[in-house]
Amino acid sequence: MSDGQRSPSAGTGQIVVSGLTKQYKNVRAVDNLSFTVEPGRVTGFLGPNGAGKTTTLRMLLNLVTPTAGTATIGGRRYADLTDPLHSVGAVLEASSAHKGRTGINHLRVICAAAGLPRQRADEALALVGLTPAAKRKFKGYSLGMKQRLGIAAAMLGDPQVLILDEPANGLDPEGIRWMRGFLKGLATEGRTVLVSSHLLSEMQLLADDVVIIAAGRLVRQGPVDQVIGSMAHGGRVRVRTPQADELVAALREQSATVDADGHGALVVTGVDAPTVGRVALAAKVELHELTTERPDLEGVFLELTAGKAEIR
Amino acid sequence: MNLVRSELLKIRTTSTWWIFGLITVPLWALAMAFNWLQTEALANGDFGEVSADQADQIDAVRDVANLAANIYTNGQFFGLLIVMLLGIVVVTSEFFHQTVTTTFLTAPHRTAVMMAKLIAAGVLALLFWLGTTLLNLAVGPLILNATDVGAHLGDGAVWRAVALNGLAYLLWSVLGVGLGVLIRSQIGATVTGILLYLGGAIGAAIAIGLLAAKFGDWINQLQLLVPSLASGLMVSGTDIPGNPPRWAGAAVLIGYAVVAGAIGVLTIRRRDIS
Repeated sequence: MSDGQRSPSAGTGQIVVSGLTKQYKNVRAVDNLSFTVEPGRVTGFLGPNGAGKTTTLRMLLNLVTPTAGTATIGGRRYADLTDPLHSVGAVLEASSAHKGRTGINHLRVICAAAGLPRQRADEALALVGLTPAAKRKFKGYSLGMKQRLGIAAAMLGDPQVLILDEPANGLDPEGIRWMRGFLKGLATEGRTVLVSSHLLSEMQLLADDVVIIAAGRLVRQGPVDQVIGSMAHGGRVRVRTPQADELVAALREQSATVDADGHGALVVTGVDAPTVGRVALAAKVELHELTTERPDLEGVFLELTAGKAEIR
Repeated sequence: MNLVRSELLKIRTTSTWWIFGLITVPLWALAMAFNWLQTEALANGDFGEVSADQADQIDAVRDVANLAANIYTNGQFFGLLIVMLLGIVVVTSEFFHQTVTTTFLTAPHRTAVMMAKLIAAGVLALLFWLGTTLLNLAVGPLILNATDVGAHLGDGAVWRAVALNGLAYLLWSVLGVGLGVLIRSQIGATVTGILLYLGGAIGAAIAIGLLAAKFGDWINQLQLLVPSLASGLMVSGTDIPGNPPRWAGAAVLIGYAVVAGAIGVLTIRRRDIS
């Protein structure tokens, strides 16, 4: 199906969460949360366990009623979408099919309810590479096959917006690589892709933007590079030299901060790697290693959510 | 309409319906054997000395139309239980297998989904009724002729009883759906349903019988309030003296079904699915 046939109810496919709050009896699972998710990009929705990721996604999808605030997709609440499967595809639990039903029949049941033609079930199954297992019962599926079936169900209506909760759970490396390519491809087509996860190394490879929450609140939002770059220790340089004292003296003249890392190398902050190299050359110091250490998403995430991940 | 098709497809693509169907057949045969013996006893038996009241009741029960109606609604006792359990499963399996998330994502209007479930459970119940009735119409005349009652296929009272029997199947499936919403646990709802049905029928019948003996016949009217007794009353072939009229049984059962269905719909509308 081309973009032209897509339901106008998804609009641009922008997701806007505004002041979203969910109060359970004793716990404020989501607390005045606001963020936006843009089409054409993969957005990682990150947070420690129990941060409120799943509750947020379920409020976005009208499965859980918010205590306060709104969540809209293309300007509309999920319940107000005229043709929800055509606008939004969601994968929430890997095990959400009847154990005694075959994969193809699971999809046909959804097609019937959404008024989609039957052959969409076969097409979606082929899309995720499950055609050989079409007539096998769900209880015989591996975890990876269950995830693929969930994605097939989400793709039935050829939606503008994809929302996935921990899709990499239970996937083997091959499956994870497949999923990465699949989701990136969807974003390239102009769709909105929102993926919750706590697998940070995977997210760094997959996501264009991140939304980080902890204890139900927004911690940071933005493009992955910006979020990583925003951290104080951005651009550390690691140096190894047999003439450590001379290099430290020369670097301190350039007002750089130098520390020993305890493994025989120096960690320099305040100047970049070319500067360190130039200073070393001028001081006639021999270098054995010179690397720029980019902080990774995991380091940034742990720093940002430190102390906020306690059991509530 | 799409939602009803989807719900019927859900039922068709799992094994529950035919397993329940297979269970129904031997239960039906058992009931038919019992009713054969009972019909024979009532049609030809001698009841000796009885009081005037009891004589009236026995005469009403022995009425040939009543005997025929009883045979043509054979299998009802377990049939109603089965369709109620099917109604329960239609709802609770969604929670058991966590498919309810997908269901409500596909159709965010939960009232419409519940109405579709009620209709699908009702259609299934009527199919069970149809199957049972066809079996009854095939075997019934043989038994009725053998016991000298006569087939009575031209008798209006017989067809009224068969139709009311269909209504009972429909209403019990609705009760099952309502119960399934209230008790999401598949096992919990099934056990509760069986206890309500069997315990309700047998326990309440004994209790009412004892109370009536102590406090007088008016207590008998209370059996109306027990769903299973109300439905039994509704399908008794003819009015029995001393018992409430059949239409009252029907009214009570419809009331229960409407309340159960409405509570089910209202509950599911508000519930967080997590």
